[in-house]
Order: sequence, then C-alpha cells, then structure tokens
Amino acid sequence: MHTSLNKKALLVALVVTLACVVISFYGSRKLQNFDPALIAYLFGTLFALFGGIYRYCVWLQRPPTWMYFRRTWQFVFSGSFFVHLYYLAADSVKNLLFQRFIYPRGKKRWIAHFLLATGCMAAFAITIPLTLGWINFTLDPATALDPGTTRLYYANFFGFQVMSFKLGSVMAFLIFHALTWCSWLVIAGAVFFMVRRMTNAGLIATQTFEGDLLPLILLIIISVTGLGLNYSYAFMKGMAYDFMAVTHAISVILFLVWIPFGKFFHIIQRPAQIGAHIYKKEGMKRGMAVCPHTGQAFATQLHVDDLKTVTQQLGFDFTLENGSSHLDFSPEGKRSLLAKAHLQARQEGGNLFG
Amino acid sequence: MEVTAYKTDMEFFVDMQRCIGCKACEMACAECETNGHQSMIHVNYVERAVSIQTTVQVCMHCDDPVCARVCPADAISKDDFGVVHSANTARCIGCSNCVMACPFGVPIKEEKYDMMMKCNMCYDRTSAGKKPMCATVCPSQALFYGTREEISRMRPNSTPVNTFIFGQQTVTTKVNIMMPKGSTHLKVH
Amino acid sequence: MARLPASPEKIIHEFGPHLNYAPQEGYPGRDEPDKSVKTHCCFCGMQCGIQLLVKNNKVVGFEPWMEFPFNQGRLCPKGVQRYLQDNHPDRLLGPLERAEGVGFKPVSWEHAMDRTVSEIRRIQQTYGNDAFSVLSGVSLTNEKSYLMGKFARVALKTANLDYNGRLCMVSAGAGNKKAFGLDRTSNNYEDLEHAEVIIVAGANVSETFPTLTHWIWRARDNGARLIVIDPRVIPLARTADIHLPVKPGTDSALYGAMLKYLADHDMLDHDFINNHTTNFQETLDAVKDYTLEWAESVTGIEKEKIQQAAELWGKAKTSFLLHARGIEHHSKGVENVLGCINLVLATGRIGKPYCGYGTITGQGNGQGGREHGHKCDQLPGNRDITNPAHRQYIADVWGIPEPELPGKGLTAYELIEAIHRGEVKGLLSICFNPLVSLPNNNYVREALEKLEFYVCIDFFLNETARHADVVLAGSLHEEEDGTVTTAEGRVVRIRRAVTPPGNARPDTDIILELAERLGAGDKFRYADTEAIFNELRVASKGGTADYYGITYKKIEDNMGVFWPCPSEDHPGTPRLWEDRKFATPDGKAHFNPVKYRDPGEVTDDEYPVVLTTGRVVSQYLSGTQTRRIGKLVGLIPEPLVEIHPVLAAQYGIRQRELVRVTTRRGSGEFPANIVETIRKDTVFIPYHWPGKKSANQLTPGTLDPVSKIPEFKVCACKLEPLGKISAPGEAHAFDSI
Repeated sequence: MHTSLNKKALLVALVVTLACVVISFYGSRKLQNFDPALIAYLFGTLFALFGGIYRYCVWLQRPPTWMYFRRTWQFVFSGSFFVHLYYLAADSVKNLLFQRFIYPRGKKRWIAHFLLATGCMAAFAITIPLTLGWINFTLDPATALDPGTTRLYYANFFGFQVMSFKLGSVMAFLIFHALTWCSWLVIAGAVFFMVRRMTNAGLIATQTFEGDLLPLILLIIISVTGLGLNYSYAFMKGMAYDFMAVTHAISVILFLVWIPFGKFFHIIQRPAQIGAHIYKKEGMKRGMAVCPHTGQAFATQLHVDDLKTVTQQLGFDFTLENGSSHLDFSPEGKRSLLAKAHLQARQEGGNLFG
Repeated sequence: MEVTAYKTDMEFFVDMQRCIGCKACEMACAECETNGHQSMIHVNYVERAVSIQTTVQVCMHCDDPVCARVCPADAISKDDFGVVHSANTARCIGCSNCVMACPFGVPIKEEKYDMMMKCNMCYDRTSAGKKPMCATVCPSQALFYGTREEISRMRPNSTPVNTFIFGQQTVTTKVNIMMPKGSTHLKVH
Repeated sequence: MARLPASPEKIIHEFGPHLNYAPQEGYPGRDEPDKSVKTHCCFCGMQCGIQLLVKNNKVVGFEPWMEFPFNQGRLCPKGVQRYLQDNHPDRLLGPLERAEGVGFKPVSWEHAMDRTVSEIRRIQQTYGNDAFSVLSGVSLTNEKSYLMGKFARVALKTANLDYNGRLCMVSAGAGNKKAFGLDRTSNNYEDLEHAEVIIVAGANVSETFPTLTHWIWRARDNGARLIVIDPRVIPLARTADIHLPVKPGTDSALYGAMLKYLADHDMLDHDFINNHTTNFQETLDAVKDYTLEWAESVTGIEKEKIQQAAELWGKAKTSFLLHARGIEHHSKGVENVLGCINLVLATGRIGKPYCGYGTITGQGNGQGGREHGHKCDQLPGNRDITNPAHRQYIADVWGIPEPELPGKGLTAYELIEAIHRGEVKGLLSICFNPLVSLPNNNYVREALEKLEFYVCIDFFLNETARHADVVLAGSLHEEEDGTVTTAEGRVVRIRRAVTPPGNARPDTDIILELAERLGAGDKFRYADTEAIFNELRVASKGGTADYYGITYKKIEDNMGVFWPCPSEDHPGTPRLWEDRKFATPDGKAHFNPVKYRDPGEVTDDEYPVVLTTGRVVSQYLSGTQTRRIGKLVGLIPEPLVEIHPVLAAQYGIRQRELVRVTTRRGSGEFPANIVETIRKDTVFIPYHWPGKKSANQLTPGTLDPVSKIPEFKVCACKLEPLGKISAPGEAHAFDSI
C-alpha cells in the first residue's frame, strides 16, 4: 500500500500544499512580511504539510480507517448536530488538549506527556504562522522615534493588526519568550520519557531506536539549541551561535520532514480517537450485540456488522455454514468455542492426554 | 528490539484440556515487564453451570494477523520472528476493532487507558532467550514453551496443529495447539 | 483474654487485612535486583523452588527457579504472588500490647518480654505448669518447629503443646505409623511418571497442590489411568478416566468394597502379603459383607463404577495412590487412611519404581513440622513422648533429667476445650489462626475470651491475635534461614532474603530470649539456625525420621535430601521400603481391619443436606497471608456455596442468591453457585474466610478417636434462600467480622 504512489492522496496533498502557498503569499502581503531567514524552515514546513496530507489520505483509504472516518462524520451530521458538536469539542479538549486518557496509565507519564505535547503544539502555533509569514510584529513608528516613550509593538495576522503591546510589558516578555517556555516544557517532558525508556525493562525490550528514542533525541536537540540561540545572546555573548543556529535548523527540518512517516504522525492521527468515541456512543444508542455463547451483550451491533464488512474488504471471511459469523461471538465466547471444539477433537481422538 | 537473543527453535504449545483453571498464568503474566502489571492471558470457564472446564488462551500470533489488518491506526505490528506486538501506545485509538475481530478472542481493551493491550509472548523474556512467564509457571503445562523435539518426546501421541478453521476462514498461527496424533487442523464450528 | 480491646472495625482499620498490590509498573529495582535468592514458596507442602528478587532489603519480585527438580519453575497463583506478603502495609513492625478502647499500642521489646514472662510465671505458679499452653504451626521451618517443642518442654515445662498439623494430616500420620511404622510419603513424585493407575482420593490437587498436577499429567501422557474420588467434579476429575463422587463421610465403605472385590477376584499379590505383611485375614474378614451393591447404597456411587475402579486398580502393574484432607478430616480419618493403605498392601505395589503411596501434606512444612516434636505426644525424630527410651534419649540431648521432661499433653482442639473448662489459663501461639481454622469457631472465640493471658507471635495481626494481650512481631518465611521438609520427604533449604523490617525480630530470636528470661538460657544457646539444625540432627538420630546425615551443605549441593538419612555418607531415601523392611517392630507392613461406621453427624429431617468444606486455589489455609494479597483475593473474592441444580430447585434457590446455611453450631450466609459438578445431596463451602463468612462457624468439633483431627469434611445442614441476589464482590469477605 505504501510502496506504490497513491494518486488520490498525491492529488489532495498537492492541492492543499498549493493552497497553503497561495494563502501564505497573500497572507504575507506578497512576501512583504516574509522573513527570508526562515526560508529553509518554509520549505521544511511545506514538505511536512505535503507529506502529512499525503500520508493521511493514504491512511484514510484503508478500509477500517475509512469506516471510522465515514461513520464519524455521518454521525456528527445526523440528528442533533449541535449536541454532537458540543461532544466533539468537549472530548477534544479533554483528550487532545489535555490527553486525559494517559493519566490512568501513570500520573507522571501524563504530566510529562502534557508538558511535551503542550510545548510542541504551542511551538507549532507560533513558528508555523511565523515561517509562512502569516504573522509578524511591527514597531509603532511614532514610539520608535521618540526616545522618551516606551516602544509600542503591533502584532499582525495576515497583515491585519490584531493587538499591540509595550516593550518591557509582561505581555511583551511572554510573547517574545514564548518559544523559550515551549522549549522548557518539551525538555522536561522529553527527558522524563528518555529516562523512562532507558530504565523500564518492558520498554527496553520492545522499543526501537528510530521509532521511540530518536524522536525524543530530536525534540531535545531542537529545544536545547533553540534555548541556546536565545541564551547565547542574553548570557553568553553570542558564543557558539552559528553552530547552534545550524544544528537547530537541521534538527527542525529533519523533524518536519519526518512528521508524516515516524512517531510524530500520531499527533495527526490522534483525533481519530474522538471518532472512535462517537462511534461507540452512537452504536450503543442503536443497540448491543449479544453473544450466542455467553448470552451477554459485548459490543455494539453496529461494530459487529461493520467489522464483518471491513474484514471482507480486507480479504477475510468468517461466515459460518449456517450463515451467521464467527464475529457474532464475544471474545469469551470465541475462546470457549475453541476449547469445546478442542475437547471434542480430543475425545474423538480417544485420549485427552499424551 | 534490535539486540535480541530470541531463540527461533523455541515454540509455544497450548493444550487447554490440561488447564486446571488455577490462573497461575494470569498472575504471572502481570509480572511480565512489557504490560505493566496488567494480565494479558485469558482463563475462563467454558460453561461453569455444567462443567468445571476452563480454557486458557494466549495470543496465537497469526501469520496474517486479523487484529493488525483491522486496526484503523496501524498500531499493531508483526516482527521478523512472527511475534505480533501489542498496540503501539502512541497510535492506538482504543477503537476495539482488534478485540472484536480476533478469531481467538485475545486482545483486551483497557477501558481506563482507552487502549488495546495484548500478549506479546513476554517479549522482554523471549527476546532475552527466556521462556514466557505463563508457560514457565503453568503447573499443568497446558502452556508449554520449548522445542518441537521436546514436545514430541514428552507427548508422543499428540501433534502440534497451527491451522484453524472458522467457517469460511482458515487461520494459521505461530502458536500451536496440541491435538490427537495425525490431526492437521482444528475446525472450530 | 476477654473481648476485643476495641471494635473489630477499628482494629481492621489499623492492622488489616488490607489488600496489597504491586505498583502499576512493579516495584522499583525489579529489573536490577541486588540479589536473587533461591528459596521456596511458603504456601503448601509442595515447597516449590522460587527465586526472590531483592532490592535494598526488600523483596521486589520473583523469578522462576528452573533447576529445582520438583517444580522446574512451575508455580501456582499463590506462589507467583507470594512475594507481595513482603512490603505489606499490615506488617507488624514491633511488639504491641492490648489497650482497652484503643486496640493495640506499640510497646518496647523490654516491656513486652517482661510482661509476657511475668504472666507466664504468675499463671504457672498459681495453676501449675500445664495451665500455660502453646499452639504452634507447621508453616514454621524444621528448626523453629524443633525449637518450639524444646521451648515448651524445657523452658515452659508444660505438657500442653500442640500444633495446627492437628487439623492437617495427623490422620495420615497415625495411619502410616500403624501400617508402616513410619510417617512419610513412600515415594517421591517422580514415581508418578510411569504409574499405570493413579488414585487420587479426597485431594483437590489442582487447587490445593497445583504444581503436583504436572506429575499426574506426565503419567497420563504415558498412558496412566486416573481415578478421582471426590464428592465434586474437581478440575482433576473432569478429565479423569473414572470419577467416583463419594458421599462425604462414606469413604471407608468404598475402600472396603474395593478390597473385597480384589480378594474375590484374586487380584492380590500373595507373595507380598504372605512374606511382608500381617493381619490380612482379619482385615479381609472385616469387609466380607461389603458387596458392590452395599457400597453403592452407602457411598452413593454406582456399583459399576466402583467395579471399574477396582478392576483397574487390581490389574495394574504399577500404581500410585494419593490422598489428602478429603479423607483425613473425618472422625474416621485414620480408618479412611488405613482403608487406602489396605488397597496398596493387597496389591503389593509399594517400594518399587513407579509404585507409590502417600498423603499429600498440606502445610508448607507439614512433613518436617510433624516430625520434630511440637506435637503433644511426640519428641524429635518422630519419637514417642510416652516411650521411656525415647524420653531418655531426648532428655540427654537437651541436658535435662528425664523426669523433668513433661508427658503427653492435650491435642489442639482438646486444648481449646480445656481453656473453655478453665483448666488452661494462658496461651502462647505462633503460626496458628484457630479462630478461622478450627471447627465451630464461635466456641473457639468463647475460649479465647476466657484466657487470662494470651501472647501471640506473628507478622500480621491475624483474627485470633486480635484477642491477644501481647503481640510479638515475628518474621516472615523469607526473613530467616532454615530448612523445611516437602510433602515428598525432601529436606530443602529456606534462605533468608531480607531482614525483618522495623523492630520486628526473627521468630527464633524471640523464642530464645523468652527461654533466657524464663531461666533456661543455658539450654538455648545457638550461634545460628544451622546450629539449631545440627542439634535437631542429633535429636532425630535413631528415630524414624532420621535427619542425622543431612547437613545444610548437603542440601544445597543436592537441592534437597530425602530422609531417612542416618549418616553423612548416606544419599538419602527418595523411595521407601525397597528393602521390604518396614519400620514396625516386626519389620512387616500391617493390614488394619476397617469396619464402616457413620460419620459423627448424619442428615435428618431437620438438617437434611450434607455440608462439606475445602479450599480454593487462590487462598492458603486461614488466609492470614493470602487474604492480604490483592490479586489473590480478586481471583476468588468470597466463599460461595456450591449447590447442584436439582437441590437448588428443591429450595427455589437462584444463581448467586444469598443462602443461609445452618448447622447445629451456627449459621452463615453465602451466595449460591449452582453447578452440576457436585453431588445432589451435598453442598460445599470453602473455609478460608473469617467472621460471618467463615465456613467453620458451621463445622463440628467431632474428633477422630486416634488422631484427634476434627471432622471438617462432613456435617448436616439446612438451606434457606434469602431472596436476595448478591452481586460479585458485594460482600467484603476477606476482612469479614
């Protein structure tokens, strides 16, 4: 599936990437607000966008993924739309913004992941629009020339002024150092996970370097060099600035280019969890499937029926001779059926042992 | 995963008629480092009202794992040794497709984690050349982990079978079930 | 002493039982332990080898011990979870003293010891030495068992010492001594491997000795036929070739009829009977009327099945007969055991490869603990306390004049009765929780309330200890070195993995200090536990349980040594009687006539249903340890009363409906588990739970006249559905009051 070029995905990715270029061209007022120092980052970002969309589309075309995708939107747009929308929003805040589902897996793990995720997402929110020239900051010319007044800055979005703040104000401090805060959050989270991955025997056994450790290393390098760039001027008299600038650029671009393929794709994938929640919620309204063996409800009938379709699309056929399906049985029922069949075979074989 | 002492001549052999339902495997499974004190193995009564029969089920590690194929999030993978791994925690979206599609009823949806977990044949142990916890402790050896030669010596009247028929579907697995001598498959329905 | 010092809720709040779980990702340090200690599981007589992982003086996990020959890494759920008794929040960290209205308050060792010794002195001076009693237990090591016996006789000078083996395998011990002159399983379990026929009588192997299942299954892989005798279809019985669902209390009728069948069809080993046994004819005469029809009418087993079983047993060339509490916990326990032994002797299949017989000892050190003198009638080496020569030998070893050695005392249950009567005023208990484990436990509670002084040595405040005046914080299995003897008769090494936490002390230290303070210090000077063992070796020398040739080094080098082992160059004796020289005075094995008689209590109109009790796989005995381990409690959270659907229908009982089960002793409420795997006239309740969930509120104190074992396995009850469905886990059974 990933080996040959997927034309549908290619087309969508191209269109979206081009659209982004067009928006950015006009958003930066025909490149007037564009910062040429960020050119390498720009291409990295565009590639990440292209690759991410391509991969996403390929992914969506897999039968189980498409089933969930289709069902999710079908449910959202059926019945009381606003109720669904509210659920969607609330669940997104809970599970995407706060990653609440990690909390039961471990309190420290959740804190670390929350720091890491918040740092990353905030950094994306700042750097991507900056890189694409969607936002820029301008100095109020009046205050710039008058040494007696505090300088006033404007923040512009797509060239439209959206806010202003004075140099030296709390707001200015927060905005100009936003990436510093992000870096610290990322470092704290990533270091926790690095330590965990190096000491937890279970993880050591199952992790891979490129899949699990490299992403953390990359994040740490990005954050540390990012901080270095900042502190190099503030505290170190510009020492090693060039080295850090180059390392930072390379690691960021690597990170961007890698988003569609590696561990970071889970950031893009995660919203599907919200879909799975809606699917289950709506499925329950439509009725539960009862296992013929245990007599207990075990899943939504919708899920069982959809899975019959999906497995057939994937080339499996669990249809039984009587027209029902092996998939009609609950996990416990399936295990019991196997044991009963095994007992029967053993009995027919004449000996349960040996 | 990269440095490994996995012994490829060792295989898993299950015989649920030997199971006494003691759940030593269930307790021991939770001691495996890869699943954080959660047990992944299943022991259940088949029909308690009429029989004391219990069955024990580990992941069969299918050659073409349905769980992985129905996963919408590409969270389940099979490695070069044929071990089908538990869901990648970052990817799994907790949809339960694998739980419902697995013909052996193996994957578990951990509701509190909103994530699927399953047996990975004690990868922390098997990749270090050790036996899985469940098969090590199993007092009835309903779960046995060793070489084909060992099992054929110990149970000369049984044949390991790894082909299962569920209606129209034939599933082949890495894990074997011990059947009467000469059997080639187990027809479940 | 009197009632509880505070409400049971308050005591439980402070001392548990609380459930211990490992942290979500295991105890830190489990992957890189400081050491892994090869020792044994503390639960049950199999004594499976296990390695405990230790980090910073804490047990943080386990690793299977693949090389130990009996279990080769295999474990049951209790074994897997055993490490969680360490690091337990309920662990007693120092001595406690009863405080009215408060419960228990911590005191110094000095104070606790002082108080204990002065109370012992007061009671013994006022009422006589025998008014202070000791109840011990056989989860203790050989060294501690030996020490408790010596402590009671030499330091306390009391005759009244007995142990919880009295509720375990004494019927088997008494039967074996009568028949063979020696009390040990005749073979090690590897002899099961090629036995053609295996009888398992009253032994729920797969739940109480799960790791023994392997050896029985190995035999079946090799073609063995399995006969299971049990009122329930236990897991072993499901796949057995013949299951004989015997009516509780009628076992000896079955064995009698089988013996008659063997004789009638000449399936006997005449050579063996003539040359190596006595009493055969009298024994046969006793069963001359026991036809299959008669046996069917008594035992409730179809006569065809009895015949099949007798045929299989009679024609086999090799065989192994195993039994356990199911036939021993009876007022006819010894007779049942002798009935089994008669079947073995009649076929002469003993003392040969793959020909075996034995009881499966229940407790951790049920074998070794019953050999070295902490039984009321016994001295070390399984010597007889009433035999003058035996007395003289031990008195010499202990350095006391023979007349100073007390005589035979009361057995455990008789001791409770004596406390009730006011004859015994003081008690020291260790490793025994009679309030859960003895029958008719309301009666036991009343007895405890009459004690003037009760001191308990334990690592958790068990249900009985709540009645204590002083509690001395002792040590867990993994906190002291020593040896135990497995159900096979294999002496193995228990290795200390950690030291006791807080101010808790090794049991041995506590006993030695008490001896010192009681003025017997000069008889209790040991450099370490090995020194105690070396004295035990000498004390056992020449006895039937002869350990003289066993040393710590030899055990370690060989992963265990089978007694008897009379000299250091002796390899030990895995299989007894190969020389056909039995340990009886005449050197022959003795048949014993067994006439059938009714159990102590039979059903009538008022109490029409048979009640039998037993165990579940996830709990060990009175549950002091296992009711504190979260996952074990989770496996089987509460006792259910098993009822056949036909019987349930008679009373209109529904699945999981609460049923009040009443006997002449008391009543308890249990959710019903309606299953076809039990006799239609019998209900079953497991006994590990305390208080209102205790099966032993119901059981009778009827004792076997010889072994004095209580009749846990049969009494009459009535059933009353209460109309309320009880959801699983609704009843908080593990800490029920």
